[in-house]
Amino acid sequence: MSRLVLEQEEVELTDISDNVLALSAARHMAERIGFTEVEQSLIATAVSELSTNAVRYGGGGVLILRHISNCKGEGIEVEAVDSGPGIADIDQALTDSYSTAQSLGLGLPGVRRIMDEFVIESSEECGTRCVARKWR
Amino acid sequence: MSGADFAVSILGQVPTPVMAVNNDYELIYLNETGLKLLGKGWEEVKGQKCYDLFNSAHCKSDECRVKQAIAKQTTCTARNEVRIGQRTIPIEYTAAPLRDDEGNIIGGLEYIVDITRQVRDERKLQEQSKTILEISTPAISLWEGIIVLPLVGVVDSFRAQQMMQAMLSKIKETASKIIILDIQGVAAVDTAVANHLIKITKATKLMGCKCLISGISPAVAETIVQLGIDLGDIETSSTLKDALADAFEQLHFDVSTAK
Repeated sequence: MSRLVLEQEEVELTDISDNVLALSAARHMAERIGFTEVEQSLIATAVSELSTNAVRYGGGGVLILRHISNCKGEGIEVEAVDSGPGIADIDQALTDSYSTAQSLGLGLPGVRRIMDEFVIESSEECGTRCVARKWR
Repeated sequence: MSGADFAVSILGQVPTPVMAVNNDYELIYLNETGLKLLGKGWEEVKGQKCYDLFNSAHCKSDECRVKQAIAKQTTCTARNEVRIGQRTIPIEYTAAPLRDDEGNIIGGLEYIVDITRQVRDERKLQEQSKTILEISTPAISLWEGIIVLPLVGVVDSFRAQQMMQAMLSKIKETASKIIILDIQGVAAVDTAVANHLIKITKATKLMGCKCLISGISPAVAETIVQLGIDLGDIETSSTLKDALADAFEQLHFDVSTAK
């Protein structure tokens, strides 16, 4: 389905402290699109998970936020790209409580639950790209 | 003026030192700025070894980026310090292999940027972040036996570690029985933050102190549920006020209005 990008913002992720920028940018964009406060919080959390992963496992990357629209309505698209070693087993990474780093292992499955659409592409050569969308 | 002369004249006016050496590290070019930095004339330095002129930490070692640039046949950049006279100047320099018309490497080209100001700013920034970190984890004795730790902003692992230490030492110091962690000001409770909260709660429990988490807004509550985080038996409340009331009750304090 074709989608239109109404607004786009990029946040460079080099350090864990860049999370703050990504988070507040996401919250503000979600607010402008008209998401409720609870939804804004959920979106910000998803962004936080994805940017933390990009920095922690991907060695940094970029987070792109897009205000999108299609025939059904408006929404937000969150894209996190890194050039790290990639995720060996995506299905496993999306399993609850699976973690390679002694964390809760709920980040990626959590993002999938929070957002309406979620796609991960990952390879050893190209790193990882996560795209998540939430419609209003 | 021929094309080559013009190019050399431009290089001479570049406001940062530009230097070229042959494969034996003998100076074959140094622009005006470089000469000024050394306080010498071209005739004086011509043909001298670069490491004799610029006494830097990388000189004569494998760290030398000119050496690396020639070996790897690519540009290399690094931070370094040069000592000229009594002064030590922090610099960033970039080296590239120097080739003749046939593409043979005949030496190295280097330009140097004085980063004194940058280094000073970075140090200042580090100091400031340290200060912010120190003042952002205040463990406050709220009442006899009760500590409150208001959390604001973003919680990363480094800060969580700091908080944990601040709390545990305060518990020891005051022999407190209850600590309230108010997370109302936390930007977003993601799985990493939740993980830190769970760990902190466990650590305080080991010290015989109960941890209550307050300031859970409806949005945060829903987020935690959607993420699938199990906070276990951690006691939570929506406001600091409620948490304090709980604490009083658990410590068997009787709060009454004065008659």
